[in-house]
Amino acid sequence: MRSLRARLLVWTVGGMALLVAVFGVVVYGVMRQSLNRSFNASLAGVARTIGATVKQEGGQVEAEFDDREIPAFRHPKHPDYFELWGEGRRVVLRSTSLGQKDLEWREGDAGEPRFDDVRLPNGRDGRRVTLAFQVKADPEEQAKQGGPAPAPVTVTLAVGRETAPLKADLELLVRLLVSATAGAGLLALLVAAIVVRQGLAPLGALAGRIGAIREDNLATRIPLDGMPTEMEPIGRRLNDLLLRLEEVFRRERAFTADAAHELRTPLAGIRSTMEVALSRLRKPDEYQQALGDCLTITRQMQSMVDNLLALSRLEGGQTALQPEPVRLAELIEKCWSPLAAAVEARRIVRRFDVPADLVCMADRANLARVLSNLLANAADYTDDGGRIEIVAIAACDAVGLKISNTGCRLSPDEAAHVFERFWRGDSSRAATGVHCGLGLALVQRAVTAFGGTVDVGVAGGVFAVRVRLPAAKA
Amino acid sequence: MRVLVIEDYPPLQKAVAKGLREAGYAVDVTGDGEEGLWYATSNEYDVVVLDLMLPKMDGMTILKRLRAAGRACHVLILTAKDTLADRVHGLDAGADDYLVKPFAFEELLARVRALARRAYCIKNPRLEVGDLRIETPTQRVWRGKEEVRLTPREYALLEYLAMRAGQVVSRTDIWEHVYEFNSEADSNVVDVYIGYLRKKLERPGRPPLIRTVRGRGYALGEGP
Repeated sequence: MRSLRARLLVWTVGGMALLVAVFGVVVYGVMRQSLNRSFNASLAGVARTIGATVKQEGGQVEAEFDDREIPAFRHPKHPDYFELWGEGRRVVLRSTSLGQKDLEWREGDAGEPRFDDVRLPNGRDGRRVTLAFQVKADPEEQAKQGGPAPAPVTVTLAVGRETAPLKADLELLVRLLVSATAGAGLLALLVAAIVVRQGLAPLGALAGRIGAIREDNLATRIPLDGMPTEMEPIGRRLNDLLLRLEEVFRRERAFTADAAHELRTPLAGIRSTMEVALSRLRKPDEYQQALGDCLTITRQMQSMVDNLLALSRLEGGQTALQPEPVRLAELIEKCWSPLAAAVEARRIVRRFDVPADLVCMADRANLARVLSNLLANAADYTDDGGRIEIVAIAACDAVGLKISNTGCRLSPDEAAHVFERFWRGDSSRAATGVHCGLGLALVQRAVTAFGGTVDVGVAGGVFAVRVRLPAAKA
Repeated sequence: MRVLVIEDYPPLQKAVAKGLREAGYAVDVTGDGEEGLWYATSNEYDVVVLDLMLPKMDGMTILKRLRAAGRACHVLILTAKDTLADRVHGLDAGADDYLVKPFAFEELLARVRALARRAYCIKNPRLEVGDLRIETPTQRVWRGKEEVRLTPREYALLEYLAMRAGQVVSRTDIWEHVYEFNSEADSNVVDVYIGYLRKKLERPGRPPLIRTVRGRGYALGEGP
């Protein structure tokens, strides 16, 4: 049963019905006992009345009871019956209603009335009380007659009465209780339905609110005021989720906007260069110049698109990395070679201290991309006549690589942003096109994918990137 | 007409400057926000073409500072930021026009022309002074029914005078609005070019088109 409403309804109504049923059973039991008791008491009362008229006279038992005076014994259809036995089961007296029939003889317990459910002589179900008691001779009569007092005589008296009225009463009681239970159950169902509907209304309202949230209105929050206490944690969690979602969407939108900006600007460069070049007839060298400019822009765009694609594949987990042992020194030199001439021309000093036998585990192509980005950054941001240091050491199961350069103008606070996509530091040194702020973001994603770590530090104008890569297993 | 281009992406800066110069504008160029603000506040530009994401100082700050300093130059924002919010924000900060990269160069030229006209409260792209007629979009000039061929520099000078027809225009004004910041020529060049224009435009037997107002400058057409 998946519906909360159905579950609540079933449990409350079921519980109520069970409660009412138990109550009914108890009431029935108590009432039945009480009715039985008063029936028995009435039966015993009649028996005692009759018993009080029994006398012994000279060993003879007599009863001066005339049942014609009591309406219960004269009822044409459902009369009461009685029979009195003396010593040796001799019938002393029987009710008119018995005619010549007898009540079945049963032994009575001395003193205590005994009740039995029996079939009455008229063939109906009934109950009889059997009473056994001793009858003594009347002392006054005895005194008149003289002689020794005769022994007391034990007599047995039985009074029978139909139990149909009692059964009818009990049946009525059962009917009453059953209908009361059913009525209470129905009422409970109705009340529970209303209560459950009312109680679950906030859930529906919440669902409505959540349903109305689209990606363009993520700033909406679920109002917690007036929300039931039990649902408040849900509302709060949902709001937290919305906040995180909004942040992710905001970042993605910013990323898209940034990517659009970074692609549009060079596109504008190409288009304007071409349109201006084509606006009139020119000398061949002017066309050559324009084409050269376009080619430069295209190369920058290509590198950016490559980075963007690599980044998005790394983030989307689409890059199948194939870690293999890589000689770090060798790969660094390979990535450095395209930069060497320009760096030398700017009188930048390079300190290179990477042991030739240092081997780390990484995907070669992606590690080359990482190193190229880091080295190009170092080369571009170092001031003329500055210094670049490339140092690596082996540390137990890892390889630590540090690439640092002088001429850094970032504050430590700014340096914390360098791994964000499209973030640029002092943009005066990173004009559009040359660095679009993807390099370090790519480095971080790639190194993380290799199972390494990367962090940056700024101190005294020196910018240092520390990369930790898993060492190759021996 | 003098235009300042503040754009940090070198290829675009180069192309825009070249295109505007070929269209007859005196163009100053910088790729640096702070330098851009300095140029814009220390010279009389008719139009400023302004990128928003710039090194050192961003375009919006430059625009706000310019407006705060009471500069009335017409500003065209040229940016890759294309959202509605960006455009509204830019225009509300005091820009006169907004063009999103990449753009058609023709459109940039047309928008710069429109802003330049607006700088002199002119709506009609065809300027007429007596029987002199100038079509600014095509940069063609007629005297009566006869078309006059002018060099770009001569045209720029004539267009400026025509924009301010009827007024006395000082040599300094001409210098400020027709020549670039880095021009090598001295202010005599104004007189030289006025001479060229007269040679091409004046017709014997007609009243002179360009008058010299002694000690104050030049005036095109009727006026004080």
